[in-house]
Amino acid sequence: MLPPRYAWGAPPPGPPRKPDPDGDVTTGVFRSHWLVIPFQVLAVTLVFVALIGPILISFGYAWVLLLGVSVVFGSLAYALPAWWYGTFGLREDHLVVHSGLVLRSSREIPLSRLQAVDVVQPLLMQVFGLAELRIELAGGDGSAIRLRCLRRGVAERLRVAVLAHAAGLPGRSPEAPEWPFYRLPFLLLLGALTFRVPVLLCFILLLLLATAFVVFLEPGVLGGAVPLVLGLLRYYWGPLARYTDFYASLSSDGLRLRYGMFQRRMQTVPPGRVQAVRVVEPLLWRALGVARVEATVAGYAGARQGDSADLLPVAPRGRAFSLVNELFPESEASSVPLVDNRGLMSNAAGVDERLFVSVRGRFCRVTEIVPVERMQTLRLSSGPLAQLRGRATVDVDTPPGPVTGRASDRAADEGRRFLDALVEYGRRARVPSAGTERWATRATMRGESVTNRDEGEEPEVRSGDTPER
Amino acid sequence: MDDAFTAPGDTTWQRIPTALAWYRRLVTGAGCLALGAGGALLLLLWGKPVLAGVWAALVLVAAAVLWFLAGRFQRSWGYAEATAELYLTYGVLVRQLVVVPYGRMQVVDVTADLLEQALGIATVRVRTAASTADTRVVGLPLADAVQLRDRLAARSESFSTGL
Repeated sequence: MLPPRYAWGAPPPGPPRKPDPDGDVTTGVFRSHWLVIPFQVLAVTLVFVALIGPILISFGYAWVLLLGVSVVFGSLAYALPAWWYGTFGLREDHLVVHSGLVLRSSREIPLSRLQAVDVVQPLLMQVFGLAELRIELAGGDGSAIRLRCLRRGVAERLRVAVLAHAAGLPGRSPEAPEWPFYRLPFLLLLGALTFRVPVLLCFILLLLLATAFVVFLEPGVLGGAVPLVLGLLRYYWGPLARYTDFYASLSSDGLRLRYGMFQRRMQTVPPGRVQAVRVVEPLLWRALGVARVEATVAGYAGARQGDSADLLPVAPRGRAFSLVNELFPESEASSVPLVDNRGLMSNAAGVDERLFVSVRGRFCRVTEIVPVERMQTLRLSSGPLAQLRGRATVDVDTPPGPVTGRASDRAADEGRRFLDALVEYGRRARVPSAGTERWATRATMRGESVTNRDEGEEPEVRSGDTPER
Repeated sequence: MDDAFTAPGDTTWQRIPTALAWYRRLVTGAGCLALGAGGALLLLLWGKPVLAGVWAALVLVAAAVLWFLAGRFQRSWGYAEATAELYLTYGVLVRQLVVVPYGRMQVVDVTADLLEQALGIATVRVRTAASTADTRVVGLPLADAVQLRDRLAARSESFSTGL
């Protein structure tokens, strides 16, 4: 069964260009590495054998073998043409992706609209030197482009080309130089992840349960250990494995993060794509002087939000705030005047020409920072009890993400003044030239200092591990 | 309290016609009727006529309260078009004032369900990239709704600043 080759106006997939090591990826048609076929066939067969196998065993092993082989060939018959017709390529500053066999789909993505670019290498792909390229768009869940099973070099060059197009430069521009920002020592990660109240409580409870098991030889107590172990796996082992070898650097293409041991990731968040940021300082971390930085990026919606929202998993407090200053240039989060609400739920908030900042939480302190030009809607609301007390809450809405900017429980007139100030600053900040597409050439149009990448940018302006901040 | 929810600058709240109150009354009335009649019938069949009476009375009281609240709800609604933002206010129990900058509007559409069509009203819904706020203008006469949508769409184009 051949897919409708002509119905889509798609170029008939001719022989793909051999992606030689230093060939460029800006022209030609590409497809996934052929290893994707055995992967898919293997996965389908394994699932089939695991699910149906136990039933078929009762008919004899010959049946299992026979049906297993037929499933192998059946999936091969699908995966092979699907791989052959699943092509993608750059057409000027658009990425064109053809996929599907029965339900043929063809997407054309204007790269100036991308929100973030990730190169992900799960363990199995690392073994074969393959990688997956993810291009996040602002359409929410399901709008990300995932190009699976690319050769690592191709994925890297494609990432560079995609970012160059998004920046408004020709696709063959070399990668923007970067300067180091922060490297997370493993011991700090380990210590900080351990030194949290829930984790410590979990460990103590586990120890108690183990002691009880040894003393009373009562296997029932092990049942109580299961949720504890699951919780620790999720909130202790998970981040520990994910953020091993964490390295953050800055470039004119935005923030670059590399991390992971079993799953290598390289994340690029272009400038202006961060909608809002929050700095989280759990109770015990404040004693250590470290914090976590999470961000709202429009592309990281839904399930991927938890994976990708952390910009710095653990960092000294000063480093965390200097990242905030890097993300929102020409602004200073610590200089925003904060007004405390002197209420039951501690909340301090303030706004200046560039940033809205709110600090909440008595134990786990959360500092939320929203640039005023990124605010979507503003709300002043007052519930039934708050109306009796003459109080109101101001909400600053951003795209879905971890950050919820809020100045809660204010006197009503103070809340309204706060809202009016936000509206006024937002109106001034939202000039039409403040868009974030094609950031490299946009700087040229504004007549700002142009950083010509071909001549090599000057990284030594802010070289060294600590930019002077 | 009311000072905090006034319209901005030199604008005044554009109020919504009473058709919205009747829309709410019809919807809640139908719901209450179904709930009350169904519950009472079940209780009667079960052989508890006293309980059935109590149930019917409770639902009647609820319907009366909702009838009264529908009027207040309709009067609480208002919108104002400032120079660069759309202001909305609504809510009886939870009073809200929502500010939507024109440049942040991604989609503006007009919808009307069957009952709204019968009453000749429509809802203008404004979508932004944030999904937390309920940004819509309900109960406008259809012609006004279409005009408002066209105005908002034009302004969202001219104030556009990307995401």
